[in-house]
Amino acid sequence: MNEPKVAITVLCAALLIPSSRDIAAQLASKVEAGQYTVRDGALPMSAIRFAPTVQFEFPHGTLKARGAAFLSEQSLQLADGIVSGTFTSPTVYGVRAEMIGNASRAMDDRSLGTDQVDVQTRIHFRFQQHGGLWFGGGVARPWRVAVFSAADVTDAGAWGKLGSPTAKFGTATLTATFTNFAFSKIASVHDTGSAQLSCASSSSSSLADRGPIRGWFTESSNNMSACERQSRFGDLEGSLHWEVGAFELTAQTGRRFGDSYDVTADSRRWTAATATIWLSDRIAIVGGGGRQPALPLRGLPARSFGMAGLELAYWPMSRTSVPVSLPRAVLVKAFEMRPASAGMHKIIIHVRGVETVDVMGDFSDWSPLMLQRRGRDLWELSVPMSPGMHQINVRVDRGAWMAPPGMPTMRDAYGGEVGLISISPDKTAH
Amino acid sequence: MTHGSLQRSVRILARVGVLMFASALPLVAQDVDPLVKLETRDRFAIDLMIDSANMAGLPSNPLRQMALLGLAKRADGRKIVEAVRKQLNLLRTAREVLGAVDDQELTAGASVLSAGAKPAQLATFRPRKKGRNDLQAFVVWTDFLERKVPNDDAFSAITKLWQDGADDATFYSLWTNVQADISQGLNPGTALQNRIRETPGRPTPLPVKPPEGAAGEPKLERL
Repeated sequence: MNEPKVAITVLCAALLIPSSRDIAAQLASKVEAGQYTVRDGALPMSAIRFAPTVQFEFPHGTLKARGAAFLSEQSLQLADGIVSGTFTSPTVYGVRAEMIGNASRAMDDRSLGTDQVDVQTRIHFRFQQHGGLWFGGGVARPWRVAVFSAADVTDAGAWGKLGSPTAKFGTATLTATFTNFAFSKIASVHDTGSAQLSCASSSSSSLADRGPIRGWFTESSNNMSACERQSRFGDLEGSLHWEVGAFELTAQTGRRFGDSYDVTADSRRWTAATATIWLSDRIAIVGGGGRQPALPLRGLPARSFGMAGLELAYWPMSRTSVPVSLPRAVLVKAFEMRPASAGMHKIIIHVRGVETVDVMGDFSDWSPLMLQRRGRDLWELSVPMSPGMHQINVRVDRGAWMAPPGMPTMRDAYGGEVGLISISPDKTAH
Repeated sequence: MTHGSLQRSVRILARVGVLMFASALPLVAQDVDPLVKLETRDRFAIDLMIDSANMAGLPSNPLRQMALLGLAKRADGRKIVEAVRKQLNLLRTAREVLGAVDDQELTAGASVLSAGAKPAQLATFRPRKKGRNDLQAFVVWTDFLERKVPNDDAFSAITKLWQDGADDATFYSLWTNVQADISQGLNPGTALQNRIRETPGRPTPLPVKPPEGAAGEPKLERL
């Protein structure tokens, strides 16, 4: 079995793994199928794309594995794969830290396969639940491209949220980011004139001194007239994520700053948009198009793309244009409890547009339990509950604890409010 | 990229991974009693109250849960002790007025008292049929008091339904209607009075018609 088939088999098998209800983690999966058309890229003119995703979510972290493959001309071709982990600190006075690690492979074509490992740390500042800032920095290590140093990546951004999911025009999240990349790359005197200039002006050493690079970039290593050059460019990007009812729109536009050697003309500006119409919790029509800039660290050229497809989400992934969990007000639309197996009750919560939903109560010794996403706005968890009166709290996106809607409540002894559930010996819950 | 720099990068990544793993360890260590997070002095006070509850035949779990709730909400240790002490007193009072009920009903009774009901009102629920459960009545009563329904109105409404033999669904239905009215701006007391009138309790027995000619009230025709 060749490499793409192994990867696809593993990812498909992961979709079949049932999630455990006893651990504070979940598996989430997504399969996308669509028709893609790509011009001036290495991809075929049209292809069907599959992108299964497996995600474990923990109270302060997330582990995610995602793969994508294209089906073109009756053959399955691995496109990319990424394993990522995120660790998030608790929020203290509106400040939280985030550490992100990724290992990825991009393989749009067998001759264009690249690998990268990157680690990044961010500090987020949140203001009044409607906006925030973040600053971060990290290092990315690519392989099999004309870049032989680790890239220093620094970024800063700001976001603001308008409206609410219950408002007529829904929620709009605006984000602005600036990301700076600095790395060393190989420049050849046989390249453009600007390359010659850059080689001449740089204080780098000849590649003849860099023996081990042959293993990763053999073509240039044979070319003794190549030199090492410090490259630097910055991306300024603005994005909009708008959700109203079953409709979602995500649009980005950006501009890249840097000299002509580091930034090609076709990557100076870009704009792209994707629209999603949810037919149900698990099926959506997706369409979009635009232009993506080149990714020098991955050796990928700029490209235009058009896409239309159907998204089938067994347990849909959350989608947000802001890389930090948004605090939410009272968004929980419905709360329900049903008797499950012996001694167990299933908690069902409908809340849309959030990343996590937790409950806690006397049944959990007041320890948070994370619900599992079962649909676009559907969250479930089975908990042990004996007959009697129980107290319960719910929170979304690790915000404030509150009493669930649609149930009797009382003030607790600490200034909060708890929901009251009475379970009769015949197991009915009210 | 030199071999040396690659090794350094791998080492840095490995250290970062170890740090992330180590920082996540406390999250999975859940076997430890969470009450150890309390200061020794506060924990000692709570342990004493739990022992007192056990000695008095009162359930100790509501006290423990009160302390855990305080920890979950990051309350001050002194405040937690105070809340546990109040809960113990409420349980004692509930036991005195309700008598030998099970722990769940006792806890629910303590909640009603905590919300503002008077012990004498709670005592109305002491005589009961075997197998009759007051949980839903107490839950709804507690909620009404929290929603600023006047104490006497809430008490009379709940007592009426309970004495009429209303089931859990009837109590829940009353609560649903009242809270909907309150959320639309109606005065809580008025909302309850309106809804209690239309809430069916046990069917009121029809007056028995005395047989024709029997001794009873005098008939006008005979006069």
